[in-house]
Amino acid sequence: MAKGIKVLVGTNKGVFIYSSDESRSEWRLDGPYLSGWEAYSVFGDSRGGRKRLFAGTSHAAYGATIRYSDDLGATWTQVEQGPKYAAETGFSLNRIWQIAPGAPSEPDTLYAGAEEAGLFVSRDAGLTWNELDGLTKHPSRPGWFPGAGGMCLHTVIVDPGNPRRIRVAMSAVGVFRSEDGGETWSPSNEGLGRVPTGQPYPEVGYCIHKMAADPLNPETIYMQEHCGVFRSDNGGASWYPIEEGLTIKEGDMPFGFPFCVSPGGDMFIIPLESSEQRTMRDGRMLVYRRHRDEREWLPVGDVVPDEQRHVSVLRDAMALDDLDDYGLYFGTTSGELFCSLDRGVTWKRLPGLLSRILSVKTWRVDE
Amino acid sequence: MSIEVSVPSLLADCTGGRSRFRLEADTLEDALERLLGDYPLLRHHLYRESGELRPHVLLYYNDQNIAWLADRRIPLREGDRLLVLQAVSGG
Repeated sequence: MAKGIKVLVGTNKGVFIYSSDESRSEWRLDGPYLSGWEAYSVFGDSRGGRKRLFAGTSHAAYGATIRYSDDLGATWTQVEQGPKYAAETGFSLNRIWQIAPGAPSEPDTLYAGAEEAGLFVSRDAGLTWNELDGLTKHPSRPGWFPGAGGMCLHTVIVDPGNPRRIRVAMSAVGVFRSEDGGETWSPSNEGLGRVPTGQPYPEVGYCIHKMAADPLNPETIYMQEHCGVFRSDNGGASWYPIEEGLTIKEGDMPFGFPFCVSPGGDMFIIPLESSEQRTMRDGRMLVYRRHRDEREWLPVGDVVPDEQRHVSVLRDAMALDDLDDYGLYFGTTSGELFCSLDRGVTWKRLPGLLSRILSVKTWRVDE
Repeated sequence: MSIEVSVPSLLADCTGGRSRFRLEADTLEDALERLLGDYPLLRHHLYRESGELRPHVLLYYNDQNIAWLADRRIPLREGDRLLVLQAVSGG
């Protein structure tokens, strides 16, 4: 049975799936699945002999939960013991922003990042979930304040060689790290730019947009945050800016949402005009690339050179596949999905015009 | 006695894939308990963690909002309906 590539797309009106063989020259679009539900997170899990597709679904009236499919989206099951805050916490589960795998040594473990910000874990391949409440019991919790997208925990990074080592990132709160499997947590924001939240807790108030670990070295972590682009060489203990080449206009601060890094060290971002504008600079959809060993970002890809696109790309809406000659994909807030097979230089628009794209993940799976 | 229950199609996967079905109960209060007991996933989508009904969810007994009923121990009659509605679903 040949493996194919699937691009899982979560939108504010359900899940869509693009499928292709490994040539990635022709794509088939299936969906919508879970129509009517917003899917802030999607994840395809091939560990442990499974072929399980997850979606973090939410609705303004009906709250949030996790659904899964074991038949590539044809039918879905809602988990019966999904993420849920205890009544006495006063917290409310509004969205599931991230579904992420545990370390390779724990193939039945998954993590879910939620809004209001919190972290949940499943040890049985996603069937039951419990809160890792050491995070929401951190003394700084009263000082957590939501950003424009809500107070969301949107990134979960587990050290592949040490499952007890976890990094999470939250909008307008910051990075927290745990060395004990999520029982205790420490803020990890040294070197980042603080945003004005009006809250008197100096250890939080850092607006992380997306964080990504280097596939070759888990000590190296990158991020796009509200105040720029940063790198850590010590597992998130401290951060320094990596913004050379990003200042297009005088006084212009690098601003954007997604961040991807390939195993070979190609890093990708899609800068926006500014925090106030949050659309492509002058309508030009430019993808910037920088190799981990290079000193400067370069605008390598003019995605739609003949047309203006006054749109945005959200924090979880860019992804790489895991082929050696990797494909890079991103979706826009206006529902277009683009693919590059040459390190972000030339781009192809995939068929279909979807709703607002919230999440893009790839999945290499048997057809 | 039984009562006809209607839930939004978005929540039909909480009620065995059905958006309209019947429940056996003697009173409205019994019917509500039975609905949430038989379909616990429905409770998750209708109620917040604190136990309050979600702000944009309405439960109606025929044409009355249950929130304003003084007493839910109403004996059910033939033709009664229990409806789960989304408040202000228009544009």
